[in-house]
Amino acid sequence: MREILRVESLTKTFKDFTAIDNINFIIKKDGIHGLLGTNGAGKTTLMGMILGLIKPTLGKIIIFEKNLEFERFEILKHVNFTSPYLDLPKKLTVEENLQFYARLYGIKHIKNTIDKLVCDLNIGDLLNKKFGALSAGQKTKIGLCKSLINNPKLLLLDEPTASLDPETSNFLRDFLMKFRKQNQMSILIASHNMLEIEKICDTVTILKKGKIIIEGAPKTLIKEYNFKSLEELFLNIPI
Amino acid sequence: MYTRILALFIRYKTLVLGSFPRILSILWWPSIQIVLWGFFSAFLDNQNVSPYSTVSVLLTAVILWDILFRGQLGLSITFFEEIWSRNLCHIFITPIKNSEIVIGLIFTSMIRTLIGLIPAIFISIYYFNLDFFSLGFYLISFFFNLIFTGWSIGFVVSGLVLRYGQAYEELAWVFIFLLLPFSCVYYPLDSLPTFIQNISIFISPVYVFEGMREILINGYLNSNLLLKSFILNFCYIILSIMFFNRMIEKTKESGKLLNYGE
Repeated sequence: MREILRVESLTKTFKDFTAIDNINFIIKKDGIHGLLGTNGAGKTTLMGMILGLIKPTLGKIIIFEKNLEFERFEILKHVNFTSPYLDLPKKLTVEENLQFYARLYGIKHIKNTIDKLVCDLNIGDLLNKKFGALSAGQKTKIGLCKSLINNPKLLLLDEPTASLDPETSNFLRDFLMKFRKQNQMSILIASHNMLEIEKICDTVTILKKGKIIIEGAPKTLIKEYNFKSLEELFLNIPI
Repeated sequence: MYTRILALFIRYKTLVLGSFPRILSILWWPSIQIVLWGFFSAFLDNQNVSPYSTVSVLLTAVILWDILFRGQLGLSITFFEEIWSRNLCHIFITPIKNSEIVIGLIFTSMIRTLIGLIPAIFISIYYFNLDFFSLGFYLISFFFNLIFTGWSIGFVVSGLVLRYGQAYEELAWVFIFLLLPFSCVYYPLDSLPTFIQNISIFISPVYVFEGMREILINGYLNSNLLLKSFILNFCYIILSIMFFNRMIEKTKESGKLLNYGE
């Protein structure tokens, strides 16, 4: 299996507004794919469709060579997602939250799995705290921990380092890279942090008004369009 | 499958046990209702206004109605908790099936209802001398008929809230009180005006309360009443689960499911 995700002719229309307009792309096994776009470009809608939270109007999503429409439950066992903009239950402690999600994913050795992740992410001191009492940065870390609980083969990240200080951002990035290598995980990451995307992604897709306007390897694109960085390219996108 | 259903239940149990107001709301209301109605019916009994025990008929009706009410509320509130904690999005990206959510809600509602009713039944038996278990085997049948009606309403309300937003939460309380006058909880069906009777015959709890009065007053039960109630409840629970599933799918089409996490 060389492709983890294949999106074919995907379209999503909300009444008279087209959020995603006939897009196609592929994420290769073990690859990191960046999703860029201004606010309202359709990144969240696209991610929502890949997670099965939003039904496409047209097109199909193939994950692990299975059609999401027909084999959703088999696929979702090996997919996970986190976003600093989505909360976990505030009244539960971090440990209770992680146990809850571990059970939903059918994890067999819940305690061992949680202990290992908690140790690797250095969040042991947060386990007994209520999720609602954590700082934004701590919540992001717990969200990431939750997203790795099922050892996903495809991880979707929405602004994974937003609200984090530079030191924690670096720590999480390095951790993710290591985790990905060890577990042969592919990542789809939506971010406004161009430097981060340029640094870690093998390929990127830039969306505008629901359409793909540019895609390719960041270094190749920067060279091809004759810019100094991905940020410069993004700000001066030739349409 | 069982792990995911258990996960939903444990999550809810942890939430309730960690919150005194939540525990109080489960235990307090059924008991306080019994106390209020118990004193009122004891007063009526002392006045000799009825040839049969008012305590017996009224308190049994209160407890039975509470099965329906708590069953409905237990299911709706359990679902609302996920909306209130903005957790639906995370739940729906796990490999959970709609059927597992349905069973998880039913199971949690059942436990919640039983926990709420036990103290109320205890008070009615030991303080007001109610012979609640004189309903015998029929009690089990009454219980399931009523809780099925409660779950049917719970699924419809939860589906509406999911599809149309939290403003619809009020329906969890409104629905039940709209149903109450048509359900013949405290009076027989034939005491209602004909046009209301024409509506009430489609309301399954009517047959349970008619049956309850038959047993407590006349000492026998026409099993046709139970059969009618079961047939109606079977239809309602199937239709309401189909409606709930449809609302989940409609919410996915509208993209709203993602917003429930933000």
